[in-house]
Amino acid sequence: MSFDVVDFNLWAGLLHFLQVFCGIAVVFLVAGFLISLIQHGAGGVAGFLKGLTEFATDFARTSPQRIWAICLLTWKEATRRKALYVFVIFALLIMFAGWFLRNAVDRPELQVKNYVSFVLTIISWLSLPVVLLLSCWGLPTDIKNRSLHTVVTKPVRKHELVLGRFLGYSLVGTVVLLVMGVVGYFWTVGQVPEAARSELIGRVPIYGNMSFSTRQGDRLKADLGENFKPDDMAGVNVGDIWEYRSYIEGGTKSRTFYDFKDLDVAAMKRQGEFRIEYNFEAFRSHKGEIDKSLLCRLTIENQQPDAQGKKLRVPLPIFEVKEFSNRASEKTIVLGETITYNEEGTNEIRTVNLFDDLLKGGNITIEAQCLDPGQYLGMARSDLYLRLPDRSFAATYFRGVMGIWLQMLLIIVLGVTASTFVKGPVATLLTFGILVVGGTLSELMRALVTGTQEGGGPFESAYRMFMHLNPSVAVEAGPLTTIMQAVDSVAIGFLWTVQYLFPDFKIFNTTPYVANGFLVPWKAALLPGIAVTLAFVIPCLLLGYFAMKVREMEAK
Amino acid sequence: MSQAENVIEIRNLSKDYRDFWGRKKVQALKSLSLDVRKGEIFGLLGPNGSGKTTTMKLLLGLLFPTTGDVSIFGQPASNVEKNERIGYLPEESYLYRFLNADETLDFYGRLFNMSPAVRKQRRDELIQQVGIAHARKRQLKEYSKGMTRRIGLAQALINDPDLVLLDEPTSGLDPIGTRDMKDMILKLREQGKTVVMCSHLLADVQDVCDRIAILYGGELKVMGRVDDLLKSKDQEQLLTSPLSPEAHKEIEAVLKKHNAQLLSADRPTTTLEELFLKTVQISQERPGQRYVAEEGGESPLEQKQSVEPSAK
Repeated sequence: MSFDVVDFNLWAGLLHFLQVFCGIAVVFLVAGFLISLIQHGAGGVAGFLKGLTEFATDFARTSPQRIWAICLLTWKEATRRKALYVFVIFALLIMFAGWFLRNAVDRPELQVKNYVSFVLTIISWLSLPVVLLLSCWGLPTDIKNRSLHTVVTKPVRKHELVLGRFLGYSLVGTVVLLVMGVVGYFWTVGQVPEAARSELIGRVPIYGNMSFSTRQGDRLKADLGENFKPDDMAGVNVGDIWEYRSYIEGGTKSRTFYDFKDLDVAAMKRQGEFRIEYNFEAFRSHKGEIDKSLLCRLTIENQQPDAQGKKLRVPLPIFEVKEFSNRASEKTIVLGETITYNEEGTNEIRTVNLFDDLLKGGNITIEAQCLDPGQYLGMARSDLYLRLPDRSFAATYFRGVMGIWLQMLLIIVLGVTASTFVKGPVATLLTFGILVVGGTLSELMRALVTGTQEGGGPFESAYRMFMHLNPSVAVEAGPLTTIMQAVDSVAIGFLWTVQYLFPDFKIFNTTPYVANGFLVPWKAALLPGIAVTLAFVIPCLLLGYFAMKVREMEAK
Repeated sequence: MSQAENVIEIRNLSKDYRDFWGRKKVQALKSLSLDVRKGEIFGLLGPNGSGKTTTMKLLLGLLFPTTGDVSIFGQPASNVEKNERIGYLPEESYLYRFLNADETLDFYGRLFNMSPAVRKQRRDELIQQVGIAHARKRQLKEYSKGMTRRIGLAQALINDPDLVLLDEPTSGLDPIGTRDMKDMILKLREQGKTVVMCSHLLADVQDVCDRIAILYGGELKVMGRVDDLLKSKDQEQLLTSPLSPEAHKEIEAVLKKHNAQLLSADRPTTTLEELFLKTVQISQERPGQRYVAEEGGESPLEQKQSVEPSAK
């Protein structure tokens, strides 16, 4: 897999959410107060307080029955307006997809990847547009047809209307997704060739923290002072434009360290074996035999020192890393309960118990080393992991479907909210725009905001283009540059705000995990999805409430 | 009239419609003030564009007033709580066309937090009352306009409201439907409910309303009791059994003696609505018969027995 799997820090996320939410709430309250003062003069204070009281009363008197009624209405509306015809397209696609996917590639793991990616992609591409359109058009159609007149003249609170729509479309989307998901699962399992069935699994990896050493073998320590740059902690840059992997030089004391903490040794003992999987990349700096592999070695070090203060180090047998190889079976090291090894320095043959000695305490470091001088071994954090007992394919597949479901909920929330203040076509464009920006431009925005993108802000970039200046060349100092950079800082400030308002839709993409045979991780993939969805539900509900409250329901 | 008896109080109500840029496009209502009293049927009359529907929507909180105040049951129109006691039939029955009658009433019942048992009871009562029991399982998109008005009225009454707002209640209905609707409105008054209806069908308003307000160009022009407004101040009418020519002459003499003048003496006519309804009734009782009046002949209302078998 070529992506980093990082656990989501829920508390930090929650704190960040509260900061942003409270900040925006204060801005809205102040703006509301000022508008009230401008509109009503001195009476504006009373009007503002009355509005706050109404808000509190409305939410305090929320009726689950009314919300459920609107939810059911939404369900009936969607089903009777033939939204479920989407199943027909789905059925047609999977009926004939087998013709094109079968025998497309030879390697079993790639066959599985093709089938799984196809199924999860068409489920996304069919279900998400349906809910996007439904959620963006529901309320505006109601307002246009004036059906809403018969609802808002009943004791229905505006947020109940919005929440009922959220839930109704979520119900529709959930049923659509569930049916497609179940059908897609059985179709995938049925279609995958017999030889590739063994790849239908959910590997459960444990990732460690990665760090590097210098050529002299000194481990790089994180200096988090103001001069810290991420590159300081990286290995050698071989000039690859894709900076995913860092490299260590072969034949030197360069090492990569993977630190694993608090391993569940008892569970591993029950498993009876200890599996390490790696996906290192060989990079040759000079010509050699193209089919000759690089020689590498892993050394496991227990972090609990013995009575003499010495840590147990077990070098594992030397293995080869081939260029351009993706065979998982060639990248697995399986250790039994007893390990025999040559001790470093003395070269004595020793035997240790894996679980009782080497893994004792659950804190270990695995060191990777390249033994071929002049060659380089590339690795990223997720390139080495410990593999726990596999979970079923169904477990990871349906977690993948859950990722799509969370994305669907967020689209519904955004679509319904947009439809509370603009008409159907505009709401559709707005939601689609958020989806595109949040799905594709979030990294660019982050790079611009954090200053890692070279070339400055929008004005400086425009100036550079006009003057044919390289992005890495400093702009000549002067009043114009100062003004330009000052204006840019305002634009970047705006972008900073916007990047928090646009959800990062990439976090919902769990397909790579499923397609590569990994269990979709709870903390690294599903939890951030849930957190982001919930983080948008509350502000969107409030925004929808106020939008419905201040707008006239007349469709003029 | 004391304040407590007023269900609706409107004071200096104005409404401007504005364009996208906030410029005033039209002033739909100009400084309207009126009260609606408990238990009466109040009619809002006026030609198209006179501000009737705007007034109704301001009462319901669907529009916000530019200036002035509206209170219903002592609460401002923007207050959601007041809707617990209000029933509203829109100008056209903008109901959800993909629901059937049972589902429609069940949905609106849920919005009032009614228990399942109460919802079912109200649903069954109202479906019977408005006469659509035969079509209760059909989707509303299959309903005729008359049936749609009936289910519209049923949804307006689902919560047994104290105040019923009816926007053009007889619009699009056939004479039977119109009669039924008017009967139902009168029945609401008998039940002690207050009804506000707006219509440009003057005969309907005259038939059911206690008081009316006539709007023109967004302004209140006339308001008062229907009887008072329609009563002729300089004429009197006597209604008697048929008179002989001699009796006519004697009456004229008496009138002359008292310095009065006989302006007109003729047999009173019924309304076309009465004639139509009676014909339908007779047709249902005796199918296959027809009546074609000769010039100067008698109405079938007078001559039930003279209706002849059709030529068929």
